[in-house]
Amino acid sequence: MTMNKIKPGREVMVVGVGLHPFGRFQDKELGQLAIEAVLPALKDAGVKWKDIAIAYFGHVYYQGMSIGETTLSKLGLTGVPIINVENACSSGSTAFWQAYWGITTGLYDLALAFGAEKVPRGPVTVTAEDAPERYIGGDHMMAGYALRGKRYMEETGAPASALAQVAVKARQNATMNPFAHRKDTYTIEEVLNSRMIADPLTLFQCCPTSEGGAAAVLCAREDLAKYGIDESRAVSIAAAVLTSGDYNGRGADHSAFSPYRTEPAALQAYEMSGLGPEDVNLVQVHDAATIGELQQLEALHLFPFGEAWQGTVEGRTTLTGDIPVNTDGGLLAMGHPFGASGIRMIHETVTQLRGEAGPRQVPNARVGVAQCSGAGDVTTVHILKRG
Amino acid sequence: MPPVSIDSQRLRLTNDDATTGTLIGFKCNECGASVFGPAIFCQKCTSTDLNAVDLGVQGILFSYTIVRIPPAGWPGDIPYILGQVELPSGPQVLAEVIDCEHHDLKIGMAVHMVLRAVPAENGGPDKAVYKWRPV
Repeated sequence: MTMNKIKPGREVMVVGVGLHPFGRFQDKELGQLAIEAVLPALKDAGVKWKDIAIAYFGHVYYQGMSIGETTLSKLGLTGVPIINVENACSSGSTAFWQAYWGITTGLYDLALAFGAEKVPRGPVTVTAEDAPERYIGGDHMMAGYALRGKRYMEETGAPASALAQVAVKARQNATMNPFAHRKDTYTIEEVLNSRMIADPLTLFQCCPTSEGGAAAVLCAREDLAKYGIDESRAVSIAAAVLTSGDYNGRGADHSAFSPYRTEPAALQAYEMSGLGPEDVNLVQVHDAATIGELQQLEALHLFPFGEAWQGTVEGRTTLTGDIPVNTDGGLLAMGHPFGASGIRMIHETVTQLRGEAGPRQVPNARVGVAQCSGAGDVTTVHILKRG
Repeated sequence: MPPVSIDSQRLRLTNDDATTGTLIGFKCNECGASVFGPAIFCQKCTSTDLNAVDLGVQGILFSYTIVRIPPAGWPGDIPYILGQVELPSGPQVLAEVIDCEHHDLKIGMAVHMVLRAVPAENGGPDKAVYKWRPV
């Protein structure tokens, strides 16, 4: 990729966030999950739907054409452009990224990024019936993570218990989050003894597939007064970066990915924000499996490569550690409605930076990172900061 | 009817009864990078100056997992070993590892490709599927 110098324009702030609880909601359609996240986000921002100038809707599973338009039509037909975004597990964070760029360039004042999903139960696959991958046996998200886990353990000497510690921490954080899909806690032994999915990953080390919705309202800082928005609760977007896979020397097989796709996106985000890993007070990363969290933290340069497992064992990633990770429970406890997860991370980061996270509040949180991955080696990295 | 290649762009059969074959791909004449499977552009440098090449049957186990909960449509045994194997030319190839006890698996071990006939999901001739086996 020819790297263009990132030239943000106007400062953009997150001014409202909303979440529909994550879990299983058989009696609700996708649109309802979305609306029940959008309405609280608009209320939180203190803006009216008719003031929104553009909306981006992240979702993956096909729910009919123009589902974003169908969904938002219930709030009134305002003529607003609505864009449906599919970027695998990063669909929500990609919608947020687009909303940022729509505002910073000066095209729009107020934007809505939202996402929702009803993920079917069972292992997630990406290929169609009778596709070659079905016979090869590699089209299995958690098997892909397991391959990374096995290799990581071999290279770093990390014990299985270090991976399990990631899941234990996630569940502990989720006990303080009323929106979480899973709120019961486990011990390391219980994590290790849960049903084996793909060695070394046991069931409790794999995120549940879930349903849920998330929304964020974004506004240019210079326009806050125009819309009567309370600046004291607005959180600034210091960096918004989206990348896809670059050549990693390992060929075309979609599952043979490098664990460290995030690194180039992270470096761009640090450059764009003028901030570095040392400035980060809390981080949300893509912990679809326990090994994912460890490798994302390293790719974000929050730990040296091969050392995030030690930091985890030492408790540095807990709410009282020096770099709290997945403070709302992450994918491991929240579950993973693809279209919503990336914006759920924004929701948590904003809530923490506002100092409104209640019992799971990280003291003096000023800078937060939200990193989300998706099939196709998609990575988004957003850096938010208070004030 | 003999089995057909599971993927004619990744596996070329080299005998009529589909018991031998070679992995195939492309090598870039500009930067030298190799790709497993189909390519029009080089994945590394985007050149279109590519040569179709045999990637052979040998590799080294880069990583592995024992899959206990299989993906939809998996036609084989459960559990099965999934191997991530690095070819001498660089690309990695995922496939089942067969004829290997779990406790004998070791990252870095040499493996070679063998073919096994697997019934087709939607009828028709069996598929010749590439698998890895310890050398």
